Amino acid sequence: MDPFDTAAGWLQEHFVIPLLYQLDMMQWEDVGYGWALFAVYGVAQVFITLAICLPLERWRPVETWPDAKAVTIDVVYTLINRIGVLPLVTFVLFYQVQVWLTGTLTDHGIVPPTLELLIPGLLGHQILTFVLYAIILDFGEYWRHRLSHMFGWWWALHSLHHAQRQMTFWSDDRNHVIDEVISFLWSAAIALLIGIPPLQFPLLILVLRFLESLSHANARVSFGRAGNRVLISPRFHRAHHGVLAAGQQSCNYGAILPVWDIVFRTADFGREYVRTGDPSGEEALHTGTWWQQQSAGWRRMVAMLRRKRSKSARSRAGTDLAA
Amino acid sequence: MKKLLLALSLVSGGLLPGLAAARPLAFVINSAEASVSMIDMDTKEEVKRIPVLREPHHMALTPDGKSLLIGDTAGNAVFFLDPVTGDVQRRATISDPYQLQYSPDSKWMVVAGLARNQIDIYDAATLTLAHRIPASSMPSHINFSPDSSVTYVSLQGTDALMAIDVHTGAVLWNTKIGKSPAGVLWLDGKILVGIMGADYVAVVNPANGAVERKIVTAKGAHNLFISPDSHTLYVCNRVDGSISVLDPKTLAVRGRIAMSGGPDDMDFAPDGKIWVTRRWAHTVALLDPATGQFTTIETGRSPHGIWLNTHPNQPAPTRVSAK
Repeated sequence: MDPFDTAAGWLQEHFVIPLLYQLDMMQWEDVGYGWALFAVYGVAQVFITLAICLPLERWRPVETWPDAKAVTIDVVYTLINRIGVLPLVTFVLFYQVQVWLTGTLTDHGIVPPTLELLIPGLLGHQILTFVLYAIILDFGEYWRHRLSHMFGWWWALHSLHHAQRQMTFWSDDRNHVIDEVISFLWSAAIALLIGIPPLQFPLLILVLRFLESLSHANARVSFGRAGNRVLISPRFHRAHHGVLAAGQQSCNYGAILPVWDIVFRTADFGREYVRTGDPSGEEALHTGTWWQQQSAGWRRMVAMLRRKRSKSARSRAGTDLAA
Repeated sequence: MKKLLLALSLVSGGLLPGLAAARPLAFVINSAEASVSMIDMDTKEEVKRIPVLREPHHMALTPDGKSLLIGDTAGNAVFFLDPVTGDVQRRATISDPYQLQYSPDSKWMVVAGLARNQIDIYDAATLTLAHRIPASSMPSHINFSPDSSVTYVSLQGTDALMAIDVHTGAVLWNTKIGKSPAGVLWLDGKILVGIMGADYVAVVNPANGAVERKIVTAKGAHNLFISPDSHTLYVCNRVDGSISVLDPKTLAVRGRIAMSGGPDDMDFAPDGKIWVTRRWAHTVALLDPATGQFTTIETGRSPHGIWLNTHPNQPAPTRVSAK
């Protein structure tokens, strides 16, 4: 018996079902099981990440700090994202939207695309299909990440992620809530487009997120000249978080596979283990509480949008005068 | 040698169905794994796992007994399986087939779309959609009046039971009967409904939907099954983790059998054992109702619908109704 299934079954029977019963929400029992399953995967993933990344960081740290207070907030982000919010949102929301959308399309005589229908040989080969889905999602993630650096208002949010001067494997989940929501919608749209099964989507996100955690580790780990071009290493991703790369002109945007950076000419394999952080960001983004960081991100985003609006108004006025 | 090869190819190619059909088979739908487990009831071994697209829940046997229909909700598909070999005969595109059931006269097939809040009535012979009835919300379990004129569907989201004229598609009544109603069973001129958000079975008047009695079983009363000899009524209680044993004539509760793991659907084997899917334990229980003891067979994740093909050489040995 799969230990994850056993743990999820126990959680469902002893926690989720009694809770739903008390809340008069028993109609959601099936959906509740989906949450239980991914909460278990989330816990396991946090432990696996700990077991692999912590020794690496102790063994070959890039930086050592007198205290690691700034890291604590990243732990909070991780626990919220991987055990609570992420499984709930990715499964419940994605499931509802997918069933509604595909059912509506079916009613109109359109059979929604899935990889298994496009390539019938994939039916029953769940691992191979899973890998293909992961590659497609990773491609989407490259472009989402690159765009989040390009647009000023989006960078204002994403800079919270880059503000960490004590970057560790916990830092992957350090994101503004709005940035997280956009990220979810982005991945979900791709997942809907290629027909990822509802139960595989959160699992894919968790697997991808594990590899992303590893790439944030404060460890002198490189996969060698060839390996660095196959899988993103902590060394490669650290260059993206470097103080010189923070902002709207950056490099190494990829999450799992560096091939997208190579193809779209944004790869930089030359930088060594650089210092991380965003010198242009305000201090609250680095050392603030969760709430202070979120507020600062929101404030910066609104300011960027206002600045953009007044800039375009001035530009319009200039055009009128000239006319 | 050639003769031997020919004989082997005939057997393996399924041209001698009698040989393959000699064993009684159990079909179990694994809802959270997009597959159907085919179990040899003699050896208690899973002999085949049949992949489907996304999220199957329930099944129905065609009136001629030649196909076992597997409803794949998120896949918007119905898979037609050979009930003797488990081979996929064909796949039909049908919107959100959560629960599906043929009318007693075999002329209609009713499909409850739980995610899309719709009840579809199909012409059973041609699978042409005759009526679509909007149902707010979460239509789940289905049953019929013995003359096939009316279908009754529980609506988990609005705590109601809906009666629909099968020929015209007109809603006869839609009445609140209790929190999150689930399984529906016609018994001696009354409709019995498991009230999953409470601890009782509602006895409903089929003329107007009025609840006439409440038979207390245990928390999370879910689905109801009548034994082949019609002497016993079994009710599974999802929250309590038990199966209540009732007298179908008086509806008096005779006893309760403890069964953890979320007992759900049942079918009855010729040896007197009851096969019960355990949703959160990923097994099927082989329950001896005389002693309350059971053994288990491992299945896929979240086993749900179950059907025992105990007479594989004869058409339509049992109905798959109320599963």
